[in-house]
Amino acid sequence: MSDIEEASDTLAEVNLDDTLKPLTENLESDPNSSLKDIVVTIGATVPTGFELTAADEVKEKLGSQSKISKDRGKIYFEISLEKLSQVHRLRSVDNLFVIVQEFTDYQFKETKEDTLKDLEDLVKKLPWTDPLKVWKLNTNLKKKKTKHKKQNQQSSASKEKLNDDGGKDRANQKDADKELLDHAQNTLDLKSAEQNTEKTQEIIVADDQSDGKDEFLTITGNENQAGDCKKGEAEDQVLKFRVTCNRAGDKHSFTSNDAARDFGGAVQDYFQWKADMTNFDVEVLLNIHNNEVVVGIALTEESLHRRNITHFGPTTLRSTLAYGMLRLCDPQPTDIIIDPMSGTGAIPIEGATEWPSCYHIAGDNNPQAVKRAANNICSLLKKNQNKESGTSWGIPIDTIQWDICNLPLRTSSVDVIVTDMPFGKRIGSKKKNWDLYPACLMEMSRICRPGTGRAVLLTQDRKCFAKALSKMGHLWQKGHTVWVNVGGLHAAVYLLKRTLERAGERRSYW
Amino acid sequence: MKLLTHNMLTSHVRGVRPGGGFPLRIQATEVKVNNVDFNQEFVARMIPKVEWGALLEAAESLGHLSDLPHQLPPEYENNEDFLRKVHHVLLEVEVMEGILKCPDSGREFPITKGIPNMLLSEEEET
Repeated sequence: MSDIEEASDTLAEVNLDDTLKPLTENLESDPNSSLKDIVVTIGATVPTGFELTAADEVKEKLGSQSKISKDRGKIYFEISLEKLSQVHRLRSVDNLFVIVQEFTDYQFKETKEDTLKDLEDLVKKLPWTDPLKVWKLNTNLKKKKTKHKKQNQQSSASKEKLNDDGGKDRANQKDADKELLDHAQNTLDLKSAEQNTEKTQEIIVADDQSDGKDEFLTITGNENQAGDCKKGEAEDQVLKFRVTCNRAGDKHSFTSNDAARDFGGAVQDYFQWKADMTNFDVEVLLNIHNNEVVVGIALTEESLHRRNITHFGPTTLRSTLAYGMLRLCDPQPTDIIIDPMSGTGAIPIEGATEWPSCYHIAGDNNPQAVKRAANNICSLLKKNQNKESGTSWGIPIDTIQWDICNLPLRTSSVDVIVTDMPFGKRIGSKKKNWDLYPACLMEMSRICRPGTGRAVLLTQDRKCFAKALSKMGHLWQKGHTVWVNVGGLHAAVYLLKRTLERAGERRSYW
Repeated sequence: MKLLTHNMLTSHVRGVRPGGGFPLRIQATEVKVNNVDFNQEFVARMIPKVEWGALLEAAESLGHLSDLPHQLPPEYENNEDFLRKVHHVLLEVEVMEGILKCPDSGREFPITKGIPNMLLSEEEET
């Protein structure tokens, strides 16, 4: 059987009815494969600098070893197909894709025309079958999840407006997400594609949490009622696709647009799919970094890293970054973890979700931030709510309005401090930081338990931080530092260990 | 505001005697009770970290003292009955509206929608 026949056979097998049958049954009826036997390589994009943390999480949750593309924010690992749903439970990854083929040393031809022709010819030689099976399985998993989730969401509709506090205005959500997709897809360079932070400020994404059962993440943005039906119908008909190309390197004779266009043309001829830039079923990824070429199929949509948060502030941290920072401080059961400058609460909320055996406190001096944090917690509670019994469930998190330079907490009462310090760009100023940082570190050392306490602090104002820290060697011992890229800025995440020395009492209470 | 949080909060008004700012007296006008998953080990390990007397006082002021003992029972780690009561008081009782009062200075910190506002004015800061 030629590749193309095999591929179309696989796709032809699936129609709407199939989604009702158990998936394993469906795929095992094909004598050529069973879920356990198919091993695929999954690629994941992670916040740059946290590749090791992500690889660690993959090892822990999936048992797979990862190959790390260090400082490029990508890791690769193999899994058997039956574990696909679990892949979506990874908290340190922004986006997932299945690898079709990877070329570590691709020889590009001399001229632009020859190179592009070469890429076009490549299409029919690629092993599409298994990756497409993965894509198919993944789409089915997402569909089931959305249906289930829509039923829950409709009953807990918020009354507040979209712009203000993030309501459930689906039409706007869909448009907003489309805008983001277009925006993101227009960026050519590898690096800027990962700097979604600023562009996603307006986007509201609500997301489900996996709660230990076999459920998976999905994106609500693009999947409203109409969208779902369209996708369902599409399976009976022709699939829609797009090609996204990211290219980095000095010596290429072509642009990412050239490559995407020509590669896309070849894909269209090969599969007889229909090209659609915005409303696609399959997103083919063509990643070119110097001589490394990776062809993949996306398993997630752009907005995965903004889970948990429905109410955004001006500098809301990516949940994946928040997760990475929390993981760095190795939370132990019953640890009291606070974020004294929590803004909209991204870090404590991620903490309460992933480490429910710890106790999390979010605090900020800004009344709007505190309000947004409380709203985000509310949204999270609604998702966890048990509709039938009507009881409201709590999670181990609290919010307080306070001043970080004057924390109303008992001395040595906190185990871990994790926070995103003001960079001095969008919040505060560099000048203010000269006073703020030492005061912060001082107060944090007071409330942090000597000996066992630790702090994980993210900042871009590294100079100021280093200076403030240099005066506190007797209280804070510097551990590991992770260099990260936050919204295009070079920032650092510092891991500090609290020494055994008791902090000098500035104030007269214990 | 849960009582576990309250147990860590202290008044930081200038001039307060050492230890005088703790514990803050609660005057609640609205209290909510949630269901929170019971984790025996969590509660057992959290007890040494809390100020037991303050916790009892807070629970009592909210009418949720039930029959929690003044002294910690020996080997409470395995006493599920006892731990469930502690669990209830630590995590399930929430003050939504009310006031936290500094026992020394009398300064009142408001609690609105479950969030205590502990900000001080400039004169009050140390």
